[in-house]
Amino acid sequence: MIFHSLDFVVFVVLVVAIYWRLPQRAQNVLLLVSSYVFYGYVHPWFLILIASSTLIDYLSARGMERWPEHRRRFMAVSIVSNFGMLGFFKYFNFFADNVQAVLAAAGVQVSAPVLRVLLPVGISFYTFQAMSYTVDVFRGELRARRSLLDVAVFISFFPHLVAGPIQRASFLLPQVEAERRFSVHHATTGLSLMVWGFFKKLVIADNVGVIANKVFALRDPSFEILWAGVFAFAIQIYADFSAYTDIARGSSRWLGFELTENFDHPYMARSPADFWRRWNISLSTWFRDYVYIPLGGSRATGLLWARNILVTFLLSGLWHGASWNYVLWGAYHGVLLLLTRAHQMVRKPRDGPRTSDLGLRQLPQIAGMFALTLVGWLLFRETELSAIVRDLTLVPWHSTPADRQIGVYLFLLAFGYSIPLWVQSIWVEMHRGRPAPAEESWGRAGLRALAYGAAFAAILVLRSRTSLDFIYFQF
Amino acid sequence: MAPVGRALRHLLLASAGLLLIPLALRGAAALHPIANLQPTYLPSLEGPRERAPFDASRPAALARMQPAYVVIGDSMAGSRIDPAVFARASGESVAPLLYAGSGPAWWYLVLKNWVIASGIHPKAVFVFFRDTNLTNVMFRIDATWSLDTAALAEEDGLNEVVARRRGNTFYELRSGFDRVYASTEARRGIEPLVNEWPARAMFPYRRQREAFMLAVNERFGLDHLRPMDAADMQATEDREADFAAFVDKSQLPLMLRDAQRAGLRLVLVRVQRRPAGGQPPYQSPALQRYVRDLRAYVEARGGVLFDDTGDPAQTLDWYEDGDHLSREGRRRYTERFAERIRLQLP
Repeated sequence: MIFHSLDFVVFVVLVVAIYWRLPQRAQNVLLLVSSYVFYGYVHPWFLILIASSTLIDYLSARGMERWPEHRRRFMAVSIVSNFGMLGFFKYFNFFADNVQAVLAAAGVQVSAPVLRVLLPVGISFYTFQAMSYTVDVFRGELRARRSLLDVAVFISFFPHLVAGPIQRASFLLPQVEAERRFSVHHATTGLSLMVWGFFKKLVIADNVGVIANKVFALRDPSFEILWAGVFAFAIQIYADFSAYTDIARGSSRWLGFELTENFDHPYMARSPADFWRRWNISLSTWFRDYVYIPLGGSRATGLLWARNILVTFLLSGLWHGASWNYVLWGAYHGVLLLLTRAHQMVRKPRDGPRTSDLGLRQLPQIAGMFALTLVGWLLFRETELSAIVRDLTLVPWHSTPADRQIGVYLFLLAFGYSIPLWVQSIWVEMHRGRPAPAEESWGRAGLRALAYGAAFAAILVLRSRTSLDFIYFQF
Repeated sequence: MAPVGRALRHLLLASAGLLLIPLALRGAAALHPIANLQPTYLPSLEGPRERAPFDASRPAALARMQPAYVVIGDSMAGSRIDPAVFARASGESVAPLLYAGSGPAWWYLVLKNWVIASGIHPKAVFVFFRDTNLTNVMFRIDATWSLDTAALAEEDGLNEVVARRRGNTFYELRSGFDRVYASTEARRGIEPLVNEWPARAMFPYRRQREAFMLAVNERFGLDHLRPMDAADMQATEDREADFAAFVDKSQLPLMLRDAQRAGLRLVLVRVQRRPAGGQPPYQSPALQRYVRDLRAYVEARGGVLFDDTGDPAQTLDWYEDGDHLSREGRRRYTERFAERIRLQLP
């Protein structure tokens, strides 16, 4: 089931209406059933995978606690089964193609087997979430749960099942186990998140996505047209992915759950490190805690530290898709981080906490980081390496006047749709660090109501005629 | 956190804003009245809109012509069947009903509202398609310029399968929103303002602006697209190759039912995509299963399925761009096709 459909809205309303009439255990049963209905809506066989993953991780965690002397074996079972499933569905063809290419380069001609199966949506998200449970139990940071139902709800919780945010067991499991109370305040803020999410997806992401798709279908883009398309894609991917997160968080609040934030206005970042504290936060922290720190993190020095950074970012890139351009994208961000850290070490000032004000001094940093981010999005969006090379060698002085005008036109069109995003981000940056009022005034509440109405009106008249899937569904 | 009473009032206020403020769209709609706004024949897909008229001349022409063969399809049929060559090779009259960029919804409507409505009884009606198009009613359903020419005021059967396919069970609810807020009408006025502002800002004069928009459209024309995009060559995804899952959400059962009731022999022709590496295009196990299931289903309902895939005669030199055949390929294909129906469809 897709979020941006009326079916989903009706589904959530029905679930919420039944949910609050049930006792806590029955609520969890309802959550599990509705999550499985949600996930198996189009392809019921996906349920076999998520159910298997749940059962294996549940039993592995129980085994670790029951037989601590064998906990490494149980951990291995969890890792092998989760990565095995992910590797089989997501990376098998990539691996086979590359082995074939390497052998061909060595003069050995083999025909690589091709796996023609559909990548189960959300598999990258829920396998990572499930593994956070077993790893935390393995480390002794979490006790293994007795209730299979609770673990199953934790892994399959439908609002964030398909595209995150990835929740830690230590954060979400206690909420699954606890008695939940309906909060009007949470319902209001949940509604706010959902309306904003639907607006971002249907009005912003899908409209600018059409521009990006058109530009990336060109075989002969000019410099201006290409970068207008990259700009459009940057807006699309942020609006699209953050919209999913907002709808997930909003609908969770209606069910009495709180999910962690996944985005913090990433295009206001001042540096690569700052960007990764704001972009796909749940995935970044997962890689930090389960890859970067176990590798030695920043405790290592010199080359080892650089290796830790690069390995983490390469894996993060590969997580996004079985294609070299994602690996390149990860490597690019890893190198950016290394370079900026090296620069800071030479200049001495450390990469301190984010400043709460948005002054003129920050603007060049923000603009510079946004430009670097755009280069990254080009690597991310362009799947053929030859096209990446061509794109990066385009220069403005080879463009025709008509192409320049078309580039400006496309940029303005994409920018126009993105204005609400920029306004929101600038507003948040300007007010960052200021304490929120203890109580919302009627004036603010009125403005909020006005904004809801305007957003809904915009959805009615400006939603794109081309409905695009959420980008992160494919990961 | 706000006290419950206050929070509840805020939630009610927010809900009121959400539902009442869009009523302003009715005012915007009144500013942009649409003279020719008509109810759609696909309410599960869209709201009221201006539509092109039904082309009533087609069934009348068919009735006059009384063709022996009718060919329905898009450019796949157009680049394969040369009506003159076909007529000469078969010695029969041929009526091509083709529309480049059309999809299965149009093919169904043409069969129902032109061919069957004309009362003719040709020896066979051929429908050309690629891959799994016949069970994907959404394929090119947005090509309203073609659909309108073959659609009546109400197309309940087609609308139902579109709703099933989209999982859009609640489309009446959405239509209700559209009616309450007059959003379809308001969209006509507001959407161009939002989408055209950059061109208006860059070119204040209408003529300049129109010339510029033409240049933009040309810049994104077929000549400038990457081969895969230009030729629409992306191989079908296996998720579409689940025959059982999609057949009842498609127009195929309606086509077979209506043809059978009208006593027409419906022949579905699955064209071969472009060969690669000297081999016919790869057919995944799922796609092979799909074709087996499709054949069994069609034959059980009185239809015939031709699958060109794997035909050794259809080599790469027959092809021009993408899956389209060259002029010479088209001639050869038509002659071979005429021979094939002589042998297989006596």
